[in-house]
Amino acid sequence: MRTADAIFSDALAHAGPAVPWLEPRRAEAVKLFRAKGVPHRRVEDWKYSDLKTALEAANDLGGDTIALTLAPLPAGVEHFDLADLANAPDWVRAHLGKAARGGAMPAAALALAHTGFAIRVPKNTHLSAPLQFEVSGAGHTRALIVMEEGASLTLVEARKPGTGFANVAIEVVVGANAQLTHVRTSPAARDTIQVEDIAVRVARDASYRAHLFNGGASLSRLNLRLTLKEPGANAFLSGVSVLGGLHADVTTEVYHAAGRTHSEQLFKKIVGGRGRAVYQGKITVAQGADKSDSRQIAKALLMGERAEADLKPELEIFADDVKCAHGAAVGDLDADSLFYLRARGIPEAEARNMLVRAFLEEVVAEIADETIRAAVWQAVEDALPGAMAP
Amino acid sequence: MLEIKNLHVAVDGKEILKGLTLSVGAGQVHAIMGPNGSGKSTLSYVLAGRAGYDITSGSIRYNGEDLAEMKPEERAAKGVFLAMQYPVEIPGVTTLTFLKTALNAQARARGAKELDAMSVLKLVRKRAAALKVSEEMLKRALNVGFSGGEKKRLEILQMSLFEPKLAILDETDSGLDIDALKLVAEGVNALRAPNRAMLVITHYQRLLDYIVPDRIHVLAHGKIVAEGGKELAHELEAKGYEHIVGKAA
Repeated sequence: MRTADAIFSDALAHAGPAVPWLEPRRAEAVKLFRAKGVPHRRVEDWKYSDLKTALEAANDLGGDTIALTLAPLPAGVEHFDLADLANAPDWVRAHLGKAARGGAMPAAALALAHTGFAIRVPKNTHLSAPLQFEVSGAGHTRALIVMEEGASLTLVEARKPGTGFANVAIEVVVGANAQLTHVRTSPAARDTIQVEDIAVRVARDASYRAHLFNGGASLSRLNLRLTLKEPGANAFLSGVSVLGGLHADVTTEVYHAAGRTHSEQLFKKIVGGRGRAVYQGKITVAQGADKSDSRQIAKALLMGERAEADLKPELEIFADDVKCAHGAAVGDLDADSLFYLRARGIPEAEARNMLVRAFLEEVVAEIADETIRAAVWQAVEDALPGAMAP
Repeated sequence: MLEIKNLHVAVDGKEILKGLTLSVGAGQVHAIMGPNGSGKSTLSYVLAGRAGYDITSGSIRYNGEDLAEMKPEERAAKGVFLAMQYPVEIPGVTTLTFLKTALNAQARARGAKELDAMSVLKLVRKRAAALKVSEEMLKRALNVGFSGGEKKRLEILQMSLFEPKLAILDETDSGLDIDALKLVAEGVNALRAPNRAMLVITHYQRLLDYIVPDRIHVLAHGKIVAEGGKELAHELEAKGYEHIVGKAA
């Protein structure tokens, strides 16, 4: 059996150099990857998601079939195919690969991917219709989303269940006063090992909102790394994981680099069977980032004896006059609530259903677009029967 | 309607009710009075079927059936209603949705026709007005952010909607000021009916000035230690529980 590191080493040896403009970033990524290796459970923030073991245990990693499929673009959005790196425009050259140094997996994606897309929403362009794309297949890929000053967009990312190992790195740049809403749905994918790194930089008075639905995979790891780099930048990160026996790890890192920045996080999990839900949320408030505030809530309901949830909020504050609050709770459905509903004639199964939906509803209700909210809720409904089995 | 015989109930292995015997007929209102820790709430929970209340001996018969054998939802469908001392707050479930779900679950269990959303709304509006339960309250999450008085009014509204045969009111007066108490008592009195029995559980005589019982039972140390007519409440108020409980011991 080959080790995971050997698999990547071979791939790196065959990947060849990138185009000259990208080569310094790519070389740095290769160096970083070689130094860190494939993450495993003895790497602190991969403790609950042993990627190395999962890759080595998989029979077939699925080769190189990965595709990011964009729906037809609304007028006003620029698109560039990352397969054609030699001809990349300046806005791609300015940003692509900058976030690869954030970890071994985005570094691997930069070094190994030869597909992907970049899109740019020009200054003060408001797109009312959502822009959709699908992620399918196995392999490494990346995407770049650039929101120019004052632009706004709703991006809907749909992960297709499949087989094999997929490693996706998405870089997002939100310019001053711009707004990006990022919805991501990832239905249950039993035979997939999914890693995705979303690195977001948010400028002055700009906002980034993420709404995630996760049905889990054989191993699923989503890294959401966010820098609020100028005053007035704000972020709302939310998600529900509904797991009927699979694994879903959502790890967020929020860095308040400047003063008057705001972040809020709300994550809820329903875990049944032998499912395992992970939330790790690290918030750092940098020195001088005064008058920043952050809130962070993560809750999980376990539907059976074998289900597991690991919730780990973390806070590091180097500034003064900041407001930070966090809470995490793992439990079973509230016995008092269940009795109250049953005492009113509502049968136990129906009462449990009501309470579970009410628990998740608060998160999904944060999606402003009615059609998207209904679609995400449908994904929740599809996943619930599996997750509610003990 | 309700026949409790020599009932022994344990919670976490500790015996709370120690041979309680009580009988309530249709059309009657009985009060259970007793000091703190006498077993009043245990009695209400065991009648409603809460988990963790183990009947170690004795029996509860309701219209000839063994109540202890039934799930809480079955009891509700058969007409048992407990107005709770501490109504539970349930975020994410609006009050109106909850009422509709409960009404229709009971209807389904009885083989009756379910009501559509419009019919439920009409019915709820009609009954809610008398109890000063506002439209705005009905739109809010169940009991979330409700005042003590609002929670108790919503309990009585449910009683009015579900039209139970046996209503148990557990400390319905607790946490109410005199105006709220009167409003709730009027709601309860309006529901007195020849085919309905009520068990009013209270620590204080005050509530019984407004909901006048046919009979009063004094519960102490898990047993009924004294019984009498409505005048017993005044004797308790004047002389205290110790007087009666001590005499019985």
